[in-house]
Amino acid sequence: MSRHLRFIARTVMVPDGNIDAAYKALNRVLTQDGIIDTVKRKRYYEKPCRERQRKNFERCRRIYHSEMARKLAFISKTDREDPWLGC
Amino acid sequence: MFKFNCVLFNSASIVCRQFVASLNGNGTSLVGSRGTPLQRTLFSSAVRHQEAEASETKSGKEFSFYPPMPGQDSALSWGGKKFDELPIVHIKATYNNTHIQLIDSTGQPMVRTSCGTEGFKNIKKSTPIASQTAGISAAAKATAKGVTFVRVVVKGLGPGRLSAIKGLAMGGLEVVSITDNTPVPHNGCRPRKARRM
Repeated sequence: MSRHLRFIARTVMVPDGNIDAAYKALNRVLTQDGIIDTVKRKRYYEKPCRERQRKNFERCRRIYHSEMARKLAFISKTDREDPWLGC
Repeated sequence: MFKFNCVLFNSASIVCRQFVASLNGNGTSLVGSRGTPLQRTLFSSAVRHQEAEASETKSGKEFSFYPPMPGQDSALSWGGKKFDELPIVHIKATYNNTHIQLIDSTGQPMVRTSCGTEGFKNIKKSTPIASQTAGISAAAKATAKGVTFVRVVVKGLGPGRLSAIKGLAMGGLEVVSITDNTPVPHNGCRPRKARRM
């Protein structure tokens, strides 16, 4: 990070001395950017075969979760317009 | 807190957005030859938050999680100093220890403590309590040198990451901003082999 301007990226201000809120915001930003799990993963070397397995697994997991969330949202939707209106 | 939780932001887009805005506004290049930081430029920010001691410029208090950009005027000041002139506390939170070093804005070191200098040994150094005591002692030494407001830069994901900042606050220093400077290699050096337990 020495080649970049400092105190721009990955920086949060502390509101009213509330360090917990600032730290939570910082953590949220870092996890959303994938920095926290990248750092954890790069602590030890991940062989290319393990990396391919993990990527495949995450892809399938993402598809499964999005489909399941879609189904649940469809089923839990109760404010539909009346299909039999007018007949 | 609700208002803060509703703000979702991405640090990469922060940099791009603010860079574009500042470059459009200034018309001069902010970046040095190798991206060296320009620390003596003016500040501004769209939304500002004032500390109790500093003067209130607006009647409505608006707080932004974004730091004041170098190159834009900012009405924020802490103890009469601009954001760029505040001293910096570097906290290196490794998995086995936590180091805390206070340097001023020009780069001169002022205070250095770690869990080891506080008398902890071996495994006790890698605890949040040890880093908290290191933070408290660093804050005590800093207030003896006349420092009140401070920016914090954290490096590493260790056990003392949050508790060191808490220790600084408990010791009497006012934390103004928290930066994360954890080194992320873009596939540089090969780390050690995976542990099999």
